[in-house]
Amino acid sequence: MEYKYQDILKKCSRCGGCQAHCPLFAETGREPYVARGKIELIENLQASNIQWNDRLAEIFSTCLLCGSCSENCPNEVEVVKLVQMSRKDLMAARGLPIIKKNIFQHLLKYDGRLKTVGKLLAFYQKSGVQKLARGTGILSLFPMQLAEKERILPRISGKAFRDTYPDETGLKSPRLKVAYFTGCVTNLVTPKVGASVLKVINSNNVEVIIPKQYCCGVPALASGEIGVGKFLAEENIKYFKDLDVDYIIMDCATCLSTWLEYPELLKSQDAEHLAKKVMDINRFLIEVIDIKLNPPQELGIKVTYHDPCHLKRTPGGKSNPRELLKHLNPNYQFVEMALADRCCGSAGSFNLTHYDLSQKVAKHKIESIAKSKAEIVASACPSCIMQLNHSLQNSGSKVEAKHVIELVAECYK
Amino acid sequence: MRDGKLDSTYLKRIIKTIGKENVITEYEDRICYSYDGTFQRGIPEVVVFPGNTGEVAEIIKLANIEHIPVSPRGAGTGLSGGSIPEAHGIALVLTRMNKIKEISKEDLMAVVEPGVITGHFHQEIEKMGMFYPPDPASLKTCTMGGNVAENAGGPRAFKYGVTKDYVLGLEVVTPTGEIMRTGGRTVKNVTGYDLTRLLTGSEGTLGIITEITVRLLPKPKDKKTALVYFDQLKDAAKTVTSIIYEGVIPATIELMDRVTINCVEKYTKQGLPLDVEAILLMEVDGSPAQVAEDIQIIEDVCKRNNCRNTEIASAYEERERLWKARRAVSSAIVQLKPTKISEDATVPRSKIPEMVKSLKEIGTKYQLHLPVFGHAGDGNLHPNILADKNDHDEMERVEKAVGEIFQAALALGGTLSGEHGIGIMKKPYLQWELGEVGLNYLRAIKKAVDPNNILNPGKIF
Repeated sequence: MEYKYQDILKKCSRCGGCQAHCPLFAETGREPYVARGKIELIENLQASNIQWNDRLAEIFSTCLLCGSCSENCPNEVEVVKLVQMSRKDLMAARGLPIIKKNIFQHLLKYDGRLKTVGKLLAFYQKSGVQKLARGTGILSLFPMQLAEKERILPRISGKAFRDTYPDETGLKSPRLKVAYFTGCVTNLVTPKVGASVLKVINSNNVEVIIPKQYCCGVPALASGEIGVGKFLAEENIKYFKDLDVDYIIMDCATCLSTWLEYPELLKSQDAEHLAKKVMDINRFLIEVIDIKLNPPQELGIKVTYHDPCHLKRTPGGKSNPRELLKHLNPNYQFVEMALADRCCGSAGSFNLTHYDLSQKVAKHKIESIAKSKAEIVASACPSCIMQLNHSLQNSGSKVEAKHVIELVAECYK
Repeated sequence: MRDGKLDSTYLKRIIKTIGKENVITEYEDRICYSYDGTFQRGIPEVVVFPGNTGEVAEIIKLANIEHIPVSPRGAGTGLSGGSIPEAHGIALVLTRMNKIKEISKEDLMAVVEPGVITGHFHQEIEKMGMFYPPDPASLKTCTMGGNVAENAGGPRAFKYGVTKDYVLGLEVVTPTGEIMRTGGRTVKNVTGYDLTRLLTGSEGTLGIITEITVRLLPKPKDKKTALVYFDQLKDAAKTVTSIIYEGVIPATIELMDRVTINCVEKYTKQGLPLDVEAILLMEVDGSPAQVAEDIQIIEDVCKRNNCRNTEIASAYEERERLWKARRAVSSAIVQLKPTKISEDATVPRSKIPEMVKSLKEIGTKYQLHLPVFGHAGDGNLHPNILADKNDHDEMERVEKAVGEIFQAALALGGTLSGEHGIGIMKKPYLQWELGEVGLNYLRAIKKAVDPNNILNPGKIF
């Protein structure tokens, strides 16, 4: 581990305060799954008292990287960084699990291949093969609740969002020009979110460019595959650095937080420069555009909001999405729910690798949503939205999770 | 000292008693039960999570057969090493026993299991208009069982006392594995020796607490907070004594010295004056009329004692703003050095100025960062030494300084520990305060109830 991380390690006094804030400790009640335990293990690894093995791999994979511990830590220990660096060490010592390795090396690095997999999945879901697989019970033959996991896969869109829309919208005299980093989920799973972004932005006389782009790199970075993460970051910087735009907007809180880390990852001036232009769509609409909305109806539908971990700690990350939802009055009536900023348990692929635990974490959120009496739970991170919809369906709830921007887009024809 | 390996026959019997899912044997997992809030370590041979009193008793009986040491543990937030499995053996974690069994508004009492988190308990009874005063800083995490075992205090202790003032009765598994009840549900109880008080603060050496009956108070109806700046530390100290002379007992009186104020300001940038020598943060609670009268007296006393400025707040948000500086202290002071050694030597209130002076001299003598803040009302200052645990020379100086802090406190008629306990950390100094006779008395009690020296051996003395 690098020197800088030694300084972070030293700050932990083992006070145990993290126990009160860790969603996984709340479920397991076991020290290895809370920040303090992991830090003690890292120190033992460094002292060569223990070596990377299966058990440590499991312990270090059991973290949502939600950052609640750090946020509430009296000594501000940056746990997310420590866990990511440990995963990097783990990978260097033992290699990645074969599935992840294949995904990172052969899929993420090739935008085209990712799209192809998307199409295959869409075929699987639409062709009736999925129905057949579910109906025959063949999925239950597979280990690790594959049957349930298969259901967590969202309905993949047949056509990638970025293939559907032109690279530029071509307004005559736009007030501003932005580049749109769509992220993989909007591109392959929920093109409706992308369409909503374009509709809202264009209607406010802002020109949008959708440049060539890759995955932001978070699946690789979170797993400690820093090499692939750097490659993807560099590619993205390459395609965005020469654009003449005022902002780079995103609808995905996770992509946003990854972009904000590009400068530290790449240590390049281009990354530094671009990270300053990066902006969440909610913040852009409220703080830059100062958007005015005319909701088409007065239905008073109750909507609550879930804070994505990756958005809530950025400037205005908590206030702007709520502000935007309040602009939708009287068509929507914003209601705050308890535990709004508690992690939903999605955490990238955590909900696949630790399905049961992830659903236990989500359960608190689902109960909170139910208590709020909202009919819609809005959020600003596509992977939170997937998790919420899956867990809502599991619990038999009729509530639907949607991106804030989808609701905003309803105000425009 | 044991070799760190548990005999497999006994392990099997433990597993049979409480179930495989409640027993941890893997080394990596056991490492995560080797620590508490200190820098002491001891890796247990096995970690067990019993679910009820009967299971605790069974484990203790098994431990007695083979003389396996047992260290009881709650959330592991202690600051004296009390829960560290120093003798290896069994770490017995009580967090699964976390039910609030009863809350009675009629009898103003509650019955809880040891694993109930203190902060959670506060919330539940406050919802019902009642109040449990002990409020250790770790209350969001620490457990009621740990609080009783360590006799925990907190900022409100000056007015309301500490954990022992609220424990009415206990259910305890004795060191030989029998189940015993002490005290009861009444405030008055003089039947036999006061074993409830003996066990409260016994640091896991005399029994494992499996149920706690505490008395409650009605929740105070109103609260006001004052933040006061002083150019001279001695004026701040005099203010504390004068307020009490006037018959006002604030719920909290927190003091911050200049080093602490500077750290906090650098960290929070909330506009604290950097040239003052001390800040007092005081909170009064009670009926609205009482609170209004008390805060007026406090304001007058502060003015008479040359305070520079007084800020008073009653609304929650405003009070929180005043608390901001105090709450930031812990994070702010680690800017000086990463390793924090928290001491809690306590002196009679009137000796605070002398104690602060001694602390400053000790810090200078050993070239250590030694900010002073803490509970001025009850003389429980928290001198914190900031050092780097990897700097051996500095850590040696820390050890010497700690010894001198204790000497200074004892010379002023104080005590080694106000609320953290003795554990491993203060064990070498115990004789200074208790003398040989006192120590022997403790040893005799321990030997009588724990003939095999099973429970938390090597702690306290």
